[in-house]
Amino acid sequence: MRKGARLLAVGLALAMVSSCAVRTDQIARDPNTVRIALNGWVGYEASAEVLAYVLREEMGYEVQLMRVDEQPSWQALDQGVLDVIVENWGHEELMELYGPEGNGTVVDGGPNGNEGVIGWYVPAYMEEEYPEITTVEGLKEHTDLFRTAETGDKGEFLGGAPGFVTQDQGMINAFDLDLEIVYAGSEASQITEVRRRYANEEPVLFYFYDPQWLQEELDLVRVDFPDYEEGCADDLSSVPCDYPAYELNKIFRAGFVETGDPAYQFLDNWTWTNADQNQVAQMIADQGMDPTDAAEVWVEENPDVWRSWIPEGFEPLS
Amino acid sequence: MAALTRPATGGSGGVGGASGPRQPHVLSNRWLQALAVIVVFVAGYFLFRRLGSPSWAGPFPTGIGDEFMAWLDGVYAWIVENRNTSPLFLYGFNYVSVGLGSAVVLINRILDMLTWSGVTVIGVLGAWRVAGWRVALLVLATFAVFALTGLWNESMTTLALIITSVSIALLIGIPLGILAGRSDVFYRVIRPVLDFMQIMPAFAYLLPFVLLFGIANPAAAVVTAVYAIPPAVRITALGIREVPKGAVEATTSLGSTPWQILTKVQLPMAKRTILLGVNQTIMLAVSMVVIASVIGAGGLGDAIYQALAKVNVGEAFQAGLAIVMLAIAMDRVTGAVGHGAHTPNIAPRFQLPILGAGLIVVIVVVTAARAMGVRGWPRDLSVDLSAPVNAFYEALQDGIGTYTAALSEWTLTWVLSPLSNLLTGSPWWFVLIVAAALAWIFSGWRAGLVSAASFLVIGLLGVWVNAMDTLSQVLVAALVTIVLGVVVGVLMSRSDVFATILRPILDAMQTLPPFVYLIPAVAFFTIGRVPALVAAVVFALPAVIRLVNDGVRGVPAGTKEAALSQGSTRWQLLSKVELPMARGSLLLAVNQGIILVLSMVVMGALVGAGSLGFDVVFGLAQNELGLGLASGLAIVCLGLFLDRLTQGRRAPRA
Repeated sequence: MRKGARLLAVGLALAMVSSCAVRTDQIARDPNTVRIALNGWVGYEASAEVLAYVLREEMGYEVQLMRVDEQPSWQALDQGVLDVIVENWGHEELMELYGPEGNGTVVDGGPNGNEGVIGWYVPAYMEEEYPEITTVEGLKEHTDLFRTAETGDKGEFLGGAPGFVTQDQGMINAFDLDLEIVYAGSEASQITEVRRRYANEEPVLFYFYDPQWLQEELDLVRVDFPDYEEGCADDLSSVPCDYPAYELNKIFRAGFVETGDPAYQFLDNWTWTNADQNQVAQMIADQGMDPTDAAEVWVEENPDVWRSWIPEGFEPLS
Repeated sequence: MAALTRPATGGSGGVGGASGPRQPHVLSNRWLQALAVIVVFVAGYFLFRRLGSPSWAGPFPTGIGDEFMAWLDGVYAWIVENRNTSPLFLYGFNYVSVGLGSAVVLINRILDMLTWSGVTVIGVLGAWRVAGWRVALLVLATFAVFALTGLWNESMTTLALIITSVSIALLIGIPLGILAGRSDVFYRVIRPVLDFMQIMPAFAYLLPFVLLFGIANPAAAVVTAVYAIPPAVRITALGIREVPKGAVEATTSLGSTPWQILTKVQLPMAKRTILLGVNQTIMLAVSMVVIASVIGAGGLGDAIYQALAKVNVGEAFQAGLAIVMLAIAMDRVTGAVGHGAHTPNIAPRFQLPILGAGLIVVIVVVTAARAMGVRGWPRDLSVDLSAPVNAFYEALQDGIGTYTAALSEWTLTWVLSPLSNLLTGSPWWFVLIVAAALAWIFSGWRAGLVSAASFLVIGLLGVWVNAMDTLSQVLVAALVTIVLGVVVGVLMSRSDVFATILRPILDAMQTLPPFVYLIPAVAFFTIGRVPALVAAVVFALPAVIRLVNDGVRGVPAGTKEAALSQGSTRWQLLSKVELPMARGSLLLAVNQGIILVLSMVVMGALVGAGSLGFDVVFGLAQNELGLGLASGLAIVCLGLFLDRLTQGRRAPRA
C-alpha cells in the first residue's frame, strides 16, 4: 500500500508541474523520506548514519543521505530538497540570509551536543624536539622548519578543504608569521600529505579540527593562540586570536519543522557527545567498516542513549 | 574529456588533407623564429627584473576584474532572494528544475521496482537483441560488477541520471545538429558556442546551474546534458553533410519537399554517423555524472567521494571500476547499434514472437523477484576488492615513495617554479605580445589576434597572476604528455602484440574517473603542483597515444617499402618518412593533448595545484559565483590560445 501512495505522490508532483507557478520545493518527494545532508567529513557521517539507522530500522522511515558541501547544503534547505543539516559549524552569515531574518526557509535546531575545535596542529614528535613550538613566539622562531620546495623561503602552512571555515591568512598577518598557505584542495589530499610526513617524521603545520577520526590515529598537538573573543575575527585580513570553540548545532528546513512529523521530533530530541561520535567515526574510518554497519554496532550497544530521542507515544510503522 | 569527440570528426580530415611531407627546412625555420621569440622573452624578463619591476611592467591591474566579480556576486544574491518570488523562476527555471528532478526520481524508482534481477534480464536481453551475445555477456559482467562491489543501488542512481540527461542532450542536440548540417550560417554561429562548452571546465558552471535549476538532481541533469550536447550536434551535422550531394539533388529533381529530403534521404543515410554521436554523448555523460556528485547527485560518483573522505584508495578504485564497466558496456552497446555488426540474424516472422517471449521472461522474473521480496542486490553478498588494492598501494608506496617524492621536489624546483616565475613576473603586455607572436608564427595572423585577445580578456577578468601560474603548469604537463605519447604511440604502432595489450589499459585510463588516482598521486609525489601534473598526464595520455598510433599505422605500406629498399635505417624510416607523413595526426595529437591537460586544471586543484583551478573549486564550495566564474572563463581563454597555437596554418575541418 505504501508504495502505491508513494507513486501517487510522485505523480501528483508531476501534475503540479503542469499547473502555473512552480516553487522549487514542489519537487517530487516521498512524505515518508527524511533527507539528511551529508557534509564531507567522517564525524558528520557518523552522526548522520546513526540517525539514519534509527529512523530506518526503528521508526520505519526511509532516509536519503545527500552528500554536499556545507554552503550548498544550506542552499538545498532553502530550495526544499533537504530536511536537515545535523552538524553545523557557525555560518552566521548564512543564517542571516536564509534564517527568520532573511528568506525564512531555515530554522536553528539548537545544539547537537558535540563541541567543535578548529586550530593549527603539529605532530607530537615536533613538540618533543622543539617544546616551545606550540606557542606563538616559538612558532614564529621556527617557521623555517616548515619550508618546502613549494613555498621556497617561507614556511608552509597546509590549509584545509576549500569548503571549510577559515581565518588562517588573518592569523598569519596578525601574528606576523613568515608562513605561506598551501591549499590542499580537498581534505583527502591534506590527510594523505599529513600521513606521509608523519610516517617520515617530517615537519608539518596544518589546519585541522576535532572531533576528527585522524586525531585517534596520529598524535597531534594544537598550537596555542590567544583565546577567541567576540569580534576579534571580524576583519578577516587580521585576526589576532585563535578560532572560537564551536557549539555544533542542527539546522532544519522550516517546512520540515512545520509538519511536526515524528521524524522531526526525533531529530529535534537528538543530542550526543563527542565520545559517541568518535566511537562511530573511528569504526568507519580506521577499521574501514561500512558506515551503516558501524551505526548498527553503536545502536545495538547504546539503546538507552537513542531510545530517549524517540518521541513519546510514537508507534513505529510496520 | 571534452574533446574526445574531435578525432572522430576532424581526425580523418586532418590526416587525409595533409599533402605529403613538408620540406624540413621550412619547419625548422619556423622553430627558429619561435626560439628567437622565447629568447627575447627570457631576456626581457631579466631586464625588467633588473629595473626593479616598476609598476608599468607588472601584472595586469585587477580593478575591472574585481568589479565584474562583485557584479556577479550581486546577481547571485538576487537569485537567492527571489528564487521563489520572481516570475522568471516561478514560470521559468523552476519548471525545468521540478520536472527534471522528478524525472530522475521516477526513473530511479522504476529501476528499483524492477529489482536487480529484472534490470539484469532486461539489460542482457536488450544487449543481445541489438548487439549480439558477446556484448550481452559484457553487459552481464557489468551488472555483476555492480552487484559484487556492493554498489548496486548507487549504480542504479547513476543510470537514472544518465538516462535523463542523455535524453535531454539528444532531444536538443540532434535537431540542432540537423539544422547545422543543412544551414552553413547556423553552423558557423553554433560552432564557437560548442567550442566554448567543451573547454569551459565543468566545475566552473556547476554553481550557476545550481543557482538556476536547484541543487542535486535537476542541476546535475542539466549540467550533464550541457556537457554531453556538443558531440551530438557536431557529429549529427557531420553526418548530414556527408550525405552525397547527388542523392539529395536526385530527390529534389523528383520534386520532394525539404521535409521529405530530410526524412527519406538525409537522416537514413546519416544514421550511422548520428549513432556515433549518440555513443559519444553517452560517454561524456558517464564521465560527467561523477563530477555532478559534487552537487549532491549521489550514485557512483558519491561512492568515490565517500571513499576519498576516508582516504581509502581501494574503495575508490572499486567504485571507479564500476564506472569503467558502465562506460565500456554502454560504449559497446551503442557502438554495435551504429555498426550493426554482430546483431543476431532473426527472420522477420520470428521477430515479434521473440520480443513477446522476452517480455514474458522479464515479467516472470520481476514478479517472482518481487514476490520473494528482492530489491537491490544484498550488500552481504559482495566481494571486497579494496583490501588487496590497498595492500598493493601501500607496498608500492613503501617501495618507491621516497624516490618519487625526490623526483617531485626536483621537478618543482627546476621546472615548474622557474617557469611560473617567468610568466607571472613578466609585464602583462610583454607576455601578451610574446603569446600573439608565437601563435602568429605557428598558425597565422588570425590565430595571433585571437591569442592577443584571449590574454587581454584574462587580464580584464582580474585573474592574471593565477592564470599565468596555471599556464606554466599546463605547458609542462602538456610537454610531458606529448613526449610520452609520441614514444609510446610509435612503439604501439610497431608491435601488434603490444597494441593488443595496451588497448584495454587505454580504455580503462580514459574512463576511470580522475578522482580515483588523485590521492595516490599525492601519496607518491607530495602535495602541490606535481601530483596535479601527474594526474593530468595520466588523463591526457591515452588520446595522444591512440592518435600517434593511428597516424603512423596509416602510412601506406608501399611508401615504407620504397624507403627500406633504398637502404633507409629503421630510424631514418621513422624520422624521415613515417612521422612527417603522419603530420596531420601528430598535430591533432598535440592539440588534443594540450586541451585534455587543460581540462584537468580544476581536478589538479583538488590536490593542491592552486591558482585558477583552486578558485573555481573555492567559488563552488563557498558560493562565490564571481570568483568561480571569472576563473572558469580565464581557463577558457587559455584553452582558446593553446588551441589556436597548436592547430597549425591549415586548420582541421572540425
